[in-house]
Formats: sequence, C-alpha cells, structure tokens
Amino acid sequence: MRSFRVEHRTEYLYGTAMADGFTVARLLPRDTPLQVVRSARIDVSPIPDEWEESLDPFGNRVVHFAVHHPHYSLTVVSHVEVGLETGVLPDGDEPWQRVASQAVASRGDTAADVAPFLAHTLQTPALSALHELTGDVFTEGRGVVGAVQHLCNRIFNEFQFDQSFSDVSTPLHSVLAERRGVCQDFAHVSCAALRSVGLPARYVSGYIETVPQPGEPKLVGVDASHAWCSVWTGPFGWLDFDPTNNQLPPLRHVTVGWGRDYDDVAPVRGVVIGPPSWQSLTVSVDVAEVY
Amino acid sequence: MTAAMDFDQYRAPLGGFDEAFDHSGQPRPNWSVVVHAVGSLEPAVLHERQRDADRLLDAEGAGHLVHELAFDRGTDRHGVSASARVESRPWRLDPLPFVLDAAEFAVLSNAAVQRMRLLEALLVDSAGERQLVRDGVLPAALLYSLPSFRAHTAGFAPPRWLVHYSLDVVRNASGTWRVVSDLTDAPSGLGYSLLNRVVLARLLPDGLRAAGAAPIAPHADRLRRALTAAAPADRPSPRAVVLSSGPSHPTYVEHSYLAGRLGYHLVEGADLVMREGRLWLRALDGLEPVDVVYRRLEDALLDPLEHGHEGGGSGVPGLVWGARSGHVALANAYGSGLAEASELHPFLGGAAERLLGDRLQLEQLAPGEPLATSPVFTGRGPSALEPRSIVLRLQVVHGPDGHSVMLGGAGRVLTPGDAPEQPTALLAKDVWVVGTTAPRPVAVMAPPQVDFGPSVPKRAADALYWLGRAAERAEVAVRAARVVGVQLDQDPLLASLGDGGWALGAGALLAAARNEPMASTPELPLNVRLTGSLQATVLVAAQQLASLVQEASSVREYLSKTTGRVLGRLAAAHSLLIDDEGPTDELDSVLVDLAALAGLAMESTVRGPAWRFLDLGRRIERALAVLGSVEGGLGADVPPMALQPLADVVLAANESLVAYRRRYRSDVDLDAVLDLLLRDDSNPRGLAFQLDRLREHVAALAWSQGVDLVHLASSAAIAEIDDAVVSGRRVSLDGYVLSVRGPLLQLADAIAQHWFADPVNPTMMGGH
Repeated sequence: MRSFRVEHRTEYLYGTAMADGFTVARLLPRDTPLQVVRSARIDVSPIPDEWEESLDPFGNRVVHFAVHHPHYSLTVVSHVEVGLETGVLPDGDEPWQRVASQAVASRGDTAADVAPFLAHTLQTPALSALHELTGDVFTEGRGVVGAVQHLCNRIFNEFQFDQSFSDVSTPLHSVLAERRGVCQDFAHVSCAALRSVGLPARYVSGYIETVPQPGEPKLVGVDASHAWCSVWTGPFGWLDFDPTNNQLPPLRHVTVGWGRDYDDVAPVRGVVIGPPSWQSLTVSVDVAEVY
Repeated sequence: MTAAMDFDQYRAPLGGFDEAFDHSGQPRPNWSVVVHAVGSLEPAVLHERQRDADRLLDAEGAGHLVHELAFDRGTDRHGVSASARVESRPWRLDPLPFVLDAAEFAVLSNAAVQRMRLLEALLVDSAGERQLVRDGVLPAALLYSLPSFRAHTAGFAPPRWLVHYSLDVVRNASGTWRVVSDLTDAPSGLGYSLLNRVVLARLLPDGLRAAGAAPIAPHADRLRRALTAAAPADRPSPRAVVLSSGPSHPTYVEHSYLAGRLGYHLVEGADLVMREGRLWLRALDGLEPVDVVYRRLEDALLDPLEHGHEGGGSGVPGLVWGARSGHVALANAYGSGLAEASELHPFLGGAAERLLGDRLQLEQLAPGEPLATSPVFTGRGPSALEPRSIVLRLQVVHGPDGHSVMLGGAGRVLTPGDAPEQPTALLAKDVWVVGTTAPRPVAVMAPPQVDFGPSVPKRAADALYWLGRAAERAEVAVRAARVVGVQLDQDPLLASLGDGGWALGAGALLAAARNEPMASTPELPLNVRLTGSLQATVLVAAQQLASLVQEASSVREYLSKTTGRVLGRLAAAHSLLIDDEGPTDELDSVLVDLAALAGLAMESTVRGPAWRFLDLGRRIERALAVLGSVEGGLGADVPPMALQPLADVVLAANESLVAYRRRYRSDVDLDAVLDLLLRDDSNPRGLAFQLDRLREHVAALAWSQGVDLVHLASSAAIAEIDDAVVSGRRVSLDGYVLSVRGPLLQLADAIAQHWFADPVNPTMMGGH
C-alpha cells in the first residue's frame, strides 16, 4: 500500500468586511475498498463560530461552518493522508446489456444504492448527441468493462483539455459540441453517456498526485481538484476510470466523495452577507506520495 | 326598463355536463338560490357589481397594484440597479359563484385528504427508508432525476412535511371529478380565496345568506394554529413569519394579504439571518428570534447555500441547515416540492397501495379529456352568460386536530384553449359549499403569541420612511405644478412680468419641487422654458407616485384597508399623469388623494415605531420642500411688481396662502411671508412645525445623534433674515436655507445609516 498526503487550500478575499459567512465543505475523504483514510482535518481562518460535521446521502463527509463576525477573508485548508491499494481490472466481464437490466430491475439495497446513479441530472442531461460517443462502443453483447475502456479512450482522444474553455457552469451540450473542457466536464460526459445506455455511473471528486514519477509525464488536472467517473459493472461492483488521463483503473487517485454530478460534491460552496464588494478566490492543491 | 338576466337563453354545450343546469335546462337544486338571486338583476347591474369587485380587490389586496404599474424600476432608492420588470397579474372576480352541495364536496374533501396523506407519506419515504424505490414501485432513476427532488434531504425527518396543501380538480364532461395537479411546495390560492369571498360577500350579501354558503374564514385560523403547532417543541410562545421574495413575486398579493390575515410579519430573505443555529428577524431594536417560517417562495429560492446560482442568490443562507437541525420549522418543509411533480402521477396509485394500503379516490385527468361547464358572466350573448370550464383549487391544512379542508375555494375560469394545469386565470370564481349541516367550528384560542406591536423589521421601517418621503415629494411636485400652471392660465402676461423676474422665480420653484437646480437655458423664451419645466415637474410627480405605491405594497400590513383604496386611485393617477401632462383637475384629484393618504396615516395608523418612520420621512421631505420653495421663489431680488405674485405662488405652493390672507389681510410683505413659512410653529405647512415633529420623533426613538441634528437645524431656523442683496440674490435668505438644510440632509443620511443600514443580500462565493 502506498501513502499520499494532500493539502487543499481555498482562500477568499473580500473588498470589505463581511458580517456573516456560511460554508459547506466536502473536503474530508471517505474510505473506499481501495483507500484507507489515515488522517483528515480542515483548518479555517478566521475561527468559525459554528461547526457541524455529518454524512450526506451518498455517504460523503460534509462540514458546515459559519463565521458571524466581521471578516475580510476566509481561508479553508484541508490536510489529508490516505493509504491506497493499486486498483486492478476485474478478472472477467459481463455483457453490458445484462448489467443495465440488472440495474433497472434491482430491488432492495441495490435499488436504493445503485439505481439512483441511473438518473440524468441538470449537469448530466440525456442528450441525443451522446449517441455519437456510445453508438459503436456499446454494441450487442459486448462486455461492460471492455466497452467502458473503449469509451474512456474515446473521450481521452476526441476531447481536448482546455482550461480556458469551461467553468463549473458550462453546460454539457457545449462541451459535447466543442469537444473540449476540463476533468469535471469529461467526468460529466462519461456519466451522461453511461446513463444514456442504462448503466449506473457516479461522478467522483478527488485529487491526483501532482509530482510526476521519475520517467513519467506529469498528469493533467494537477494543482486543483480532480474528477473522474465510476461505473457499476454488476457482479464486479463499481469500477473507476479517469477519461482525462485515459486510466482504467486510476493509479494515483485520492477519492474525496461521489454523487450524481459536480453539484452533489462541490468541494467548497459558500455565501457571505455583507456590503456589495469585490471578492477574489485562490485555490491550490498539493498531492505527494509519502514514503 | 332593461330586462333581468335571462337564464333561459343560457346554452350549455350539448352532451356535456353543466354545473348549474341539468339536461332539460332546469337549475340544479343547489344552484336555484344563486340563479334566483343573480337572475333577478339586470346585466348592467351585474357589470356594475363586477366593477365594484375590481375596486374592492384593489382595496383589499393593494399588493397587486404594483403589478399593474408595470414600470421599470431602473434604479431603486439605494441607487442600485434593479431592472426587474414587475409582471402584471390582475384578475377579475365573476359575480356568479360556483356552487357545490355539501355531499358532493365531502367526496372531494375526502379525496383531497387522502392525497395529502399519500404525498406526506411519499415525502417521508423518499427522505427515509425509500421503500417505494426498494420495492420497485417508484424507479430510482426517475426520482433522482427530478429537479424538485432534493437528494440532500435524505435523513430529514421534520415533524411534518406538509402543513398546507392544495389540490386542483376539474369535472369532466361526464360529470366525474378528476385531479389536475397538486401543490405542495408553497401552495397558493388560500389568500385569493379569502379575498374573493370578502368581495363577493359585499356584492351578493343576500344571495350568500339565502344560499347558506359555508364560511371559509375559519380556515385561516386553522392555518395559524397549524403553523403555531409546527414550531420546535421547546418554544412556549412561538413566533411565525410569512416569507416572501417581495413585490416581484407573481403571488405577492396573497403573501401580503395572508400576512395581514394571520397577524404575522411579512418578511423577505434579507430580513432574516441564521446565527448559532437559530433564525432571527432583523428588527429596529436588534435581532428577534423566529420559530416558524410560513414560506411563500419556492424551495429553490430558500437558501443560496443549497442552491447556489439556481436560486439567484436569494433567500436566507443556512436556513435549510437550521431546519434540518430542528431549530426552526419551515412550512412546508424544505423538499416538499417533490410531491407536486407531475412525473410522479403514473406511480401514485401504486404508492397509495404500498404506503396507505388504499386505492386512490380520484383519477388523474387524461390529456384532452372533455370538461364540464359552468355559467360565467361575460355580458355577451342573449343571456349575458357563457359556458366555461372551471378548475377548482381546494385548500387543506394539517394541524394539531388533523386534516381540515376549507369549505370552499377558488375556481379559475379556463379561457378557451387553456390547459387545465396552467389556466391564464384572468377570471376567478368564489366557490360556495351549500347545505352543510356540520356545526360551526368552535373557535379555539391559539397559544399566546409575542406582542408584535413595537417590533418592526428594518426593511419595513425603511420602506415606510421612503413611502413618507415619496408621498410628500409627490405632493410638493403636484402642488407646485398646479399653482404655477393656474397662475399662468389666468394671467399669461406673468411670464414676462418684472423683466422675467416672476418667470425666474416660478421656474426656480418648480426646479426645487423636482429636487434639481434651476437649469439656465437663456436661449429659450421664458414661457417655453416654463412650459417644459411644468411638464417635467408633473413627470417627477408621477415617478414619485410610482415609488409611493411600490413602497406601500411591501408594507401593506402596516396600512389600513382604506389606504388600499387610496393607493389604487394613486396608481391610476400615475398612468394618467404619464399619458398626458396633467390638466389641472387631474392634479387636483391627486392632491385630494394624497391628502386622504396623509389623513389616514395620522388617523388610522397605530402610533408605534412603524408610524414614526413613515412620519419622519414626511416631515424631513416637507421641511426640505419649504426651504426649497423659499430659496427658489423668493431668493432672487425681483422688482416689487413681480414680488407680490411670486410670493402668492410660494405661499400657495406651501398651501399657506389662505392662512396668510386671513392673518395679515394685507398686500404681501416679505418678512411676514417668511415668518409664516419658516418660523410660525402653528402653521402645519411651515418649517417650524416640521422641526417640532422631528424633535418628537427622535426623542421618542431615544436616538441621540438624531436629537443633536434636529437641534442644529432648529437653532439655525430661528436666525434673523435681513434683506441684503448681492448679485441679485438675497444673501441672508440663501445663507439661512443652507444652514438649516445642512443638518436636515445629515439627518436623512443618519436615519438610513443608523436604522436601516445592514448587510443585506447574500452573495455567492465564487466556485472552483
């Protein structure tokens, strides 16, 4: 097992003193079959007047906090250390159509835990343009793992990584039309494409290692939050893949949480009450392997 | 003599079901009283009654006046751009009610209660065990894709999801009732029903009594008890507010009406703040705790922390979290909007069997299904009645005594081509339930509420203050325009009197009334300049009337009912003044209405902090106006022949001409004029009188900064004014005006800073 340390810093500056500030942070990672959380904490400045931790409906850790005294800035820093097992490909495959029927026909806990990820949402709508991506990938009788590998590869090859093109509010149809975007967009494209053929898909939020290994290229999506996708494969459970870096399974990915789309797992969401003024935002992420 | 209404000529569509008449054309038993009561009237009388209804609706629900103004609020009073154009949503009330007998209503009523129980159970299940999903009754893929499904409500267990529920039903052409839609998020229509009944009771008092229609007013009391009971358990004397997004909300009329009816504060998001897990109202005296929020806005607008940009940043940050922790109750609970999604309709039958062990009593209306009709008064056709289909909205409340259905409701008349789910609803019907045998409910005393008398939300005080200022500023502009206009009409030669000295003074007076410096445009002939100035002044008056109505509509609960009527007239006057720059008699009637408004403020408003801020606004504006008129009209040194008529104008503009003549019975003497306008504390139009009132108000508010500033103004106001002239100006008068006006303007600023200034609208922090 390898160990990784993450520091994720979010800093807001305001042009004038804000009277109240409310923040919801999804920065504390969860355990997964391949990940053990060794330590995780969030430091906030100024010191919040209210603080409450809970689990959201998808099992992610959420922190609500509020500042009720005048403040000119808000700094949120998470310090995380996790142990990661290397993911491996399933030693078999299952026809994708059979997986899709299982998902729809599921009852009990499977229906409650898996079927929600069949749902198209505002950020992952059921667009006809998705068929261009899935048409010759999800062919009759093909195995789900093989098909998803193909889909991951197509998105990696056909879409251009372009930070200037999109932000959190760029709609999926623009991403599909322009064939460009960032990791959040490619995760949304993957989720929407899988759901359009009836496969449950999760949007996963997290980080990848920022320092390249000797002899390996630096991965895309570093120095910021990263996002990828996880598909339900029936008997083999959930399988993560990263279309931005064409990795299935991902190799150095620290998972924070998952949901239906970005809105379910936005890392930091905040509202301030105060006089109209400018604000600025700086985000930095540092991920390094610990030996 | 015109014939009475001829119901025999009314023709319902063949083969359909008509509410009022059976197939042989005979009135149905429960309609006979109404048919008799209305049938004996002439169509012209009915038309007149419908116009009465319009006026009564204006008076009762003045909130929608602001919608009828339909003007762009380019910049609001704080200078912030607010270009939201207010949507116009007037409606008319059909003088002919919709009648249902008690037995049939009981069927609808039972069906509505069943449906409310079902939707409550569905909400509990969706946030809890999700048994419907586990059993395959409701596909998870559907549930989790509904925009109104709040996935993060998982684990929410409010004591009650639905306190208030509405159900739209319609009768099909074979006489069977069908469900059109449910309202569970922020169900509207209760306020409209109550309003409609108040109005119809005035129009058809005999018909209402003879028919024995069940009263609906007790339903509002049941709602109040239900809201009180919804409060967190540890609050012995819970306090509720009505939360609205403000006058731009399409159903603002009823927000305002219900707040008044329930006796709650009508608040907007910025009036509230979450701190330490509790919800607080920003009142003049500080933060006051709030326990229950009767929300009239959709849940996507409730809390920007939950919805971010979707809700446009409106709402109260942290409110949903506070509700989740049980420290504040939302009625209905956050997430209740899910239950009204039409996508759920195909699954509700299965859900009813699974959750209630019961079959749904009413079926859903099928697309394109033919509907029953009911006579509607249109004034057209041989009977003046035409058949139309009606969608009925039923109101259900769940309180400490269980479910109760209002014995009546609102009917919305479908315009041909309307979808029953979205009626244009230009015409509404009051719904009468007749033949009830149930005893009248015994009024149960609600647990004691906090005494709200002295508590005023800051935003309300703010609006009242600006209402006072706008009313006074409108009056000043109208009066100045009228006085100058009348004098010019009577004596056109005035324009050139005293080498243009009169025109100069009159123009300066008008400019002061518009609150702007006198523009010097010497290339224009004086009479042309004055005409333009008159028109500009009338337009300023119209703008001030619009502001007045807008401010008033957001503080409707502080104003008397009669005030609503006056506001209706002023809103109408606003349009007239804009259309045509105000012939004298229109200006006269505006003055009468403004006087009525001022009188109502003095005679029909409870003296408390709310009234004080209204009057503070008036007094400051009037004091400034007196100074402006004196500075403009009398500041210049004009030849004696122009001074006399100019002083007349200044006195008349301050409504002091009659007082002057009675007191002095002489030609105008400048000292005497200034004495009456500036120093005579018995002249209610004079400066000294305003300063006395201001002194009382700041003292009553125990506000030392205000006391100091009023003292400064008062000390300056008693200074002597000599008649020294430099460069054509009476310098002593100019100096006097400056020294009094300075502290008054400071006072106006200080009021806004000290009493109203607050961090207001929440701002989203930028996303990643």
